[in-house]
Parts: sequence; C-alpha cells; structure tokens
Amino acid sequence: MTNKVIENLYYAKSDEWLKVEDGIGIMGITDYAQDQLGDIVYLEKIEKGKKLKQGETLTTIESVKAVSDVKTPVTGEVTETNVKVIEDASIINKDPYGEGWIAKIKIENNDELKNLMSAQEYSEYRKE
Amino acid sequence: MKLIFEKSIKGREGYSLPHDLFNDIKVEECLPEYAISKDKKVLSEVSEVDVVRHFTKLSKLNYGIDDGLYPLGSCTMKYNPKINEKLASLSNFIYAHPLAPEETVQGCLEIAYDLNKLLCEITGMDEYTMAPAAGAHGELTGILIMRKYFVDRGDIRHKMLIPDSAHGTNPASSAMGGFQVVEVKSNEKGTVDLKKLAELMDEDTVGLMLTNPNTVGLYDEGIEEIERIVHGKGGLLYYDGANLNASLGIIRPGDAGFDVVHLNLHKTFSTPHGGGGPGAGVIGVKKNLIPYLPTPIVAFDSDKKKYYLSDTGEKSIGMVRAFWSNFSVLVKTYVWILSMGPDGLYNTSETSIINANYVLAKLKNYYKPAYDRYCGHECTVTGREYKKYGVKTLDIAKRIMDYGMHPPTIYFPHFEPYAEETIMIEPPESESKEILDNFIDIMINISDEAKTNPELLTTAPHNTPIRRTNDALAIKRAILTYDDELKLKDELKYQEKDIDF
Amino acid sequence: MRYIPTTEEQKKEMLKIIGVSSFEALIESVPKNLRLKDKLNIPKAMSESELEDKIFHIAKKNVDFYSMKPLLGAGAYRHFIPEAVKFLLQREEFWTCYTPYQPELSQGTLQSIFEYQSYISRLTKMEVVIPSIYDGASATAEAALMSLRLTHKNKIIISNLLHPHYKETVKTYLAPHEPEIIDLPYKNGLVDIEKLKTLLDEDVASVIIQNPNFFGGIENMAEISEIVHSKSALLINVIVESMSLGTLKAPGEMEVDIVAGNAQSFGMDLNYGGPYNAYLGTRKQYTRQIPGRIVGETVDVGGKRVFVMTLRAREQDIRRERATSNICTNHNLNVIAANIFLSLMGTEGLYQISLLNTKSAHYLENLLLQTGKFEKAFDCPFYNEFLLKSKEDISTINKKLLENNFIPPLKIGEFYKEENLKNVLLFAVTEVLSRDNLNKVAKILSE
Repeated sequence: MTNKVIENLYYAKSDEWLKVEDGIGIMGITDYAQDQLGDIVYLEKIEKGKKLKQGETLTTIESVKAVSDVKTPVTGEVTETNVKVIEDASIINKDPYGEGWIAKIKIENNDELKNLMSAQEYSEYRKE
Repeated sequence: MKLIFEKSIKGREGYSLPHDLFNDIKVEECLPEYAISKDKKVLSEVSEVDVVRHFTKLSKLNYGIDDGLYPLGSCTMKYNPKINEKLASLSNFIYAHPLAPEETVQGCLEIAYDLNKLLCEITGMDEYTMAPAAGAHGELTGILIMRKYFVDRGDIRHKMLIPDSAHGTNPASSAMGGFQVVEVKSNEKGTVDLKKLAELMDEDTVGLMLTNPNTVGLYDEGIEEIERIVHGKGGLLYYDGANLNASLGIIRPGDAGFDVVHLNLHKTFSTPHGGGGPGAGVIGVKKNLIPYLPTPIVAFDSDKKKYYLSDTGEKSIGMVRAFWSNFSVLVKTYVWILSMGPDGLYNTSETSIINANYVLAKLKNYYKPAYDRYCGHECTVTGREYKKYGVKTLDIAKRIMDYGMHPPTIYFPHFEPYAEETIMIEPPESESKEILDNFIDIMINISDEAKTNPELLTTAPHNTPIRRTNDALAIKRAILTYDDELKLKDELKYQEKDIDF
Repeated sequence: MRYIPTTEEQKKEMLKIIGVSSFEALIESVPKNLRLKDKLNIPKAMSESELEDKIFHIAKKNVDFYSMKPLLGAGAYRHFIPEAVKFLLQREEFWTCYTPYQPELSQGTLQSIFEYQSYISRLTKMEVVIPSIYDGASATAEAALMSLRLTHKNKIIISNLLHPHYKETVKTYLAPHEPEIIDLPYKNGLVDIEKLKTLLDEDVASVIIQNPNFFGGIENMAEISEIVHSKSALLINVIVESMSLGTLKAPGEMEVDIVAGNAQSFGMDLNYGGPYNAYLGTRKQYTRQIPGRIVGETVDVGGKRVFVMTLRAREQDIRRERATSNICTNHNLNVIAANIFLSLMGTEGLYQISLLNTKSAHYLENLLLQTGKFEKAFDCPFYNEFLLKSKEDISTINKKLLENNFIPPLKIGEFYKEENLKNVLLFAVTEVLSRDNLNKVAKILSE
C-alpha cells in the first residue's frame, strides 16, 4: 500500500487533493486512492462550467476491478479539465499529484478549506 | 491456443448436405434484391476432425467440477449427477416445440407442475413461476412483482432496502425495477443491524432483499424482528435463495415470513454450471402475489385430467422471456430432488454446514475469520495479515491454482470493517473430508510461503496453462473479435510460441 | 447417499474438531420456533433405476417428437445438429465448469466465447458482440433499455410484427421506466413505412423491428434505417431465426445500431422452449453501455496471447445499482454449442443450409397454393416462414397434420385478433423436412 502525500495541499476524507492558486483549486485523487483502485482505465468526461457543492460527485473513475466516485473538495464551477487523463487514464496511477490532475475549480468560498485536512492529517488518516 | 480461424483452410468441410438442394428453385425467386447478401459471410473452413481436436484441446485448458473442488462462496458448486443429464435429454423432451399443442406435451407440463409442488413444499411458498432464466433474472421478476403489487394498491413506493453484504445483482436488479437502493449496514456480528433497519424502513420502501444465511455465511438470528419491521410498515420481504444449501429440511423461507423467493437451480439443485449458465432462477410467491406472476403458469384440469398453460390474468407483470422456462434445467432439478428425498435434502444442508465449519476451524489460526462464530454452509476468512509480507489475497488465490485446485471467492463480500481482503469458502456436501483436508493443507502451505517466499505468491500461478493476465491492456486495446486482432496485426507481433501452446 | 461422500462416522470426527458435541450447536442462530418440526413432505428418495422408469413413463406422455416433422417455427426452429456438437459439449470441462473469473483455469471457455463473438460479428457485421443474454426476448428488452440510456429519450416505437412474447417482455422490462411505447402497425405483411414516418419524432429513442418478422416477411431494413436515423433515433434489429444470416444481408451493412438475435438455430435443441441463447451486436462507440459479459484478448506475463472477461466495470458486481444490467449468470454453455456448430458449418455450410431453408419453404408454399385450398394472406417476400389463409377450418387441418406425424403450423389467430387473420396459419420450413415430407403435406391437405 502506498500513501504518499505532498505538503501544502489540502486533502478530503474521500481521498481527493486540492492545490489552491489564485482562487482556483486544482484537484485530483491521492496516491492512496490510485493504489487502492489498481490500474485505472477510464475517467468519465466532466463538463466545463459544471457547478457543484463541496462533497458532490464530480466524475467517476474506473479501474479494472472497481468504480469510484470522485468528489469535489470545494464548492465552485469547473473551469478546466485535464484532457490528457481522459485520453490516458493510467497517468493518474503514474503521477497522481502532477500530470494526473483531474479538474480546475473556481473556489466560491475559502472558508470551506477549513473542512479539509492537511498533508500530515491525511497521512495519519490513511495509515495502514 | 490457436484460434479456429487460424486453422482454417479453404475448401475444408465440417458439414454434410442432403442430396436434394432444391436446385429447381432459384434464390432470386425466393429472396428480394434488397435483402440478399452479395457475398457469403466468411466464418472458417475446417473439417470435423479439426473441430473435434480443437475443442478437445480447448477443454483441457479448463477445470471442471469433475476435476476437483471449487470452494466458491455462494456458488454452491456441487456434483452434477449424470442421471440428471440422461433424463433431461430424452428425445421426447429435447425435440418438443414450445408452441406444440398442449395435448402433445403433457409429459413436459406434468414435470413443471410437479416440480412446482415440490419447490413449494421445500421452501414454504404457494406458487412458483419457472420463467426466470437465472438468479438475477429471478430477482428482476420478483422485484417487478413487488412493484406491481404496490402499484395495484395505489401505494407507490420508491425505495428498496439492501444489506451492505448483498450480492451485486440485488442492487442492480432493484435499479432495473425502478427503485432507489438504500443500503442497510451490518452490525458487528455480521448480520443486519436491526436498529438501522428500523430507522430506514418506512412507508416509501417496497421492502428488504435478504440472503439468509448471508454472503459471509451467517444465519441472521434477527430474522423474526426483521420480518416484523418490514411487514410492520406494509413492506414485502424478498429472499435471495443463493444460499439455500444451508437450509434444506431445516428452515423454510416461507415460514420465516418471506413473500417472494428466488432459487438458483444451478446452485442448490445440482444443475451444471456450464461456464456461466444456463441455470434457472425460479420465483416462488405467497398466495396474495400469485396474480402478479409472469404468464403463463402450469395448471391441472382435474375434470379433463389434463395439464395446461394457464394465463395468470390481467394483474400479471407480463413476460420476462419467450416461451415458458429453461425446461431442461427443470428436469435435472426434478430428478435431483427425487433422488435425494427428504432425508437427502436434510443431509445436504447438514453436511455442507459441517464441511464449512470444519474448514473454518482448521484455518482460523492461519486466516483470521471475518466473524468469530459458527458459520452456515460457507465461511469467510481474510488474508489481511499477509499484507505485511507484500502478499495480497489475490496472490493467495493465484497460488492455490498451482496446487491443482480452483481458488475460493475473493474480495466478495466487501464491506468495512470486517469483510476486507475476504476469502469466501463454500465446500458443498458433495466434497469429501479428504478433499477438504487437502484444501486445508494447501492453504496452510501457502500461509507459510507468504512469510518465507512471498515472491512465489505475487508471481503465481506458475503451473497453469497460462499465467497472470494483463487485464488493463485488455480494456485499453479492446480486441473483442478476431477481426479486431487482424487490424492490429503489425502492432501485436505475436510469435508462434505465443499463440500455439 | 451416493452424492454425499461424508459418512456419519466422519461427521462425528469433524464435529469434534470443530469443538461442538452435536450439529445442533452449529445452527443455534436459526430461530427454533421457525424450524421444520417434521421431515419435508416430499417423496422418499428414489433409486436411479426407479427414477429412470418414472421419467421414461412421463416422457411417453409427450408425443414422439423426434419422429414428428415440424411445420411450426414462430421463434423456435428445429435444425439438424451434427453429433460432434453434443459430443464435444458434454466434456465435463465445458459442461460443469464455473464462470471464467480465473482466466488461468478457463482458457477453454474464454477462447470459445471469443471465437463465437468473432463469428457473430462477421455474420451481423456489427463491431461489438455480447455473446449471451438469456434469450431473444430478454435481449430485445436489454437493447431497448440500452437505447434509453444512450439517447436519454423516453419513447420507443415497436413493430407489431415483433414476436408477441418478445414484445410482452420488452413492455415488462420497460414498465418501471414508464416510457411511451408506440405500436407500429403493419401493412401487407410488413412494417407500415408510411406510418413509421408519421410516428417518428425527435423524442423517439429507438425503433424495434424484427427481421424476418413474425409473419415471416423480410423487411427492407436499409430503407427503414434511413428513416429512423433522419430523426436521430436508434434502429434495433431483432433476429429470431439466425439461420437467415447465412443468406440475408447483414444488419451492420444497413446501418442498424443494435442487433438482438436469438441464437437457438445455431446448435440448440428445442427443449420445450429453453434454454436458448441470444447475442447483442452494436457499434464500438456504444461499448460502455452494453449489458452482460464480454471477452477480450490480451497477453499474460509470459507474452502468451490469452483471453479474459473484460470491460467488467459495467457489470453488477462492480457497479451494483449503476450497472448497465443486473445480468450475471447467462447461457454460456449454449455459446459454446453455437461456437462448435458454426465451426462445423463454416462459410459454405451455413450458406448452403440457409439457402436450403428458404428454397424448401418456397417450394411448400407453391405446393399448398396449387392445392387451391389456400391463398396468400399477404403478398410480401419471406425467408422460411409464411402465412396462408385456409378455405377449410384450420383446426381440422392441424388435426390431420398431427395424425400424420407433423407438428402443425401456428394458428396466427392465437396471437393476432384481426378479422382477416382468422383461419390463417403460419408455416415454417427448415432443412429437416425433405421434398418427400413436403409433398406429403400437400397431399394430405389437398384431400
């Protein structure tokens, strides 16, 4: 089991990470999540402009033997999606925090970040 | 192994034609221009000898129940008696056309009618439909019956309660039946959490689908309270009969208050699995639900002394398949029940329960049981403690194959916190103590290997016709026909040894 | 009991090892007041020989179907099945094995399924083939549900010449989704194309057409296809007599979107209605929405070409309530039967037998018309089934045929209540009827 975390990111209990840059949140799934899923083969397309509340389902991710909902870590509107992972979902396995990012969301309410965990907290939460 | 297409040689024949091909009639006189195919559809051209050798060789790459144990939980892979096969293939049955006049098929109708009576007695229900072709098909049928019952009363309900331990077909069937699935968590004993059930059961809920014993192999001792809670709010109780092998002659779902029951004839009732069917998922109901059964059912006219197909009426849900049933499967079931008799059925459940508990007792020091209690006809242990050696439950399963045995069910059921990395073992009554001891020895060996030589497990199997498969590549490349493969011929670059083994 | 090896002695041993004094301790959690107090009230165990006697005796209450020549089709067709099919099928490795979840022990099953998918793909010219739904009716229903998912629309047009059991099944499956179901009437024994044009609109998810239809007529699927697609609906082509694929144009060539086909004619006995098998065929772009198991090709760690169940995330064990279908166990053994059958038939054999079916059917129709006792119900082309209106009472005719060892044709009035279909029979002819048989039929009916 792997459980790598990156400092200075926010983490959700449902295993998503969030990087905040100028009011935009870039998100993806954590190293733990990609390891649990196994070989990821498909990510369902996300519509740009989609508006969601914190915790709602953004998209579905499929591996060989599992299906999982990806939740949005913050309330907001989807401004951009990563075309590369739609074409080749295995990038998420290889580089979940970098090339494997999933979507960019315009953060509506910064207070919501309080509901997320720090790298240390998440690392503890997902300890074996 | 080489595909039949790769053995094809132009001009070879595997068929024979009668002399008279009606050459006096021209095809243009028969078929309109807009419909005739311009070219022959290309299949393959091989001789009968080629075909026999091809499929004989293919069969040897398989493992069947006559080879050995299939300890698959909730599958009840028991011995398929040979007399069942003989009697199901009598020529008066196999050549019987489903729409032939009723007076010509009295034998078929008699068997279906008698089987109905037997199944009602065995399960405590009032009438069975033989229409559903598989368990999931039965679930859908049963759910549609439940739905129609409420619609008929003007009481439209939207939700179905399903335990977290349920087989995937339960929620899938409920969704097909138009219901929203509400999950009921299991308690620390592995059975339905009665408090949660009482909270969730309301008048917008059609009912509860329950497998009993459940998929971790445990009888739910709360069954009477469950019945009170569900019926108390006007709901119906559905029995998933996949695990009936633990109850024959002991308890009947009808007596426990279930309104709808499905049976898997290819599980409990010994009909062969065929690599994934055909079986049958017959549905039994209580009296008040009979009007909703799919049409027709077999009835007996005591005046004319004739069996006939009776329309269930305007409240029927309709039909769930063409014609009447998977008839040959019914014959095998009928013959099995008559071979066993009441003592044999009780012996079946008694032996399978003893088998499962025996395996559990012998393995529990090596594989922690999911729940520390006696089980029904199947037991669930976990491979959790081998994770620290880098060994997953999957690796354990693959290693079992190296010992010449089929692995048990893995990763199902899966619900936190107890049922994780699960290994679900069902040794049916047709398995002897020696086979079980052999299986136990293998499992103990493997637990040793996990500690001393984990790589042997993570790279297993080694002794099977093929080794671990690249399932992610199968999805990515999606080669679903030989023509798909031909399109990628240059990319694939198979060598002789890769395809001719 | 010969199927239960464990002796009473061994049971005692095992109970001791489990750590209980009696079996009762193991079933303690089964509420005592619900348990059976007496033995089940079913007949005592019969010996193998007694059972054989009993079932032989029951079988005799059927007519001797083997020696009866069928003039009855309507969704189930007697074809000759070469002996090698049954011989090979009965190998225990095919007959008794489990679902191929462990590919390392199941290459026999998996490769057979892949070969069958390939055959059906070539016969139907559809890119993606699902090898097994229970039967043609449930396959048609799955196709209908698939069309709702793909289009997000809620109207379906169904031909009145779809097999009545199939139509009933589609309605039963669709009921919870409450779509609008529109009947498409027929004209002259074929789908009423003009009516179809008026019934189609942008809200229609799919149009379901059986070809050849229940009356035996051959629809012009290319023409229908254009009309259906002009309103962005999907065309579902139902095939009930798959033997027709040997000579008729492939659905894929006519831009059909989904094919639902009864495969019974490919190596399956009539068996009083089942089990048969059905395939679904569709376009590659719809792959994610297909129901049921499908086999794909890949490699193992040693580089061998191998076959596995694939695209499983659609299925019920993984996707549960969001699965494309609840189907789990299907009719796999019949897939193997069909695979063996098609391997023996081959390109030539299937073509020749398919051709023979339509020629002998036309021969019989001609003969019967010549007797002067029948006239065509409709004037449309047919494959191997046709309707004839009789001048005599059809019950009498059928009685005569039965007495002469023929399974009589279907009285179409049992399914269609139109006045003009009273006293009309649906004849089916396959290659199991020789010219002599057909001459005899005409002779009997001309008297």
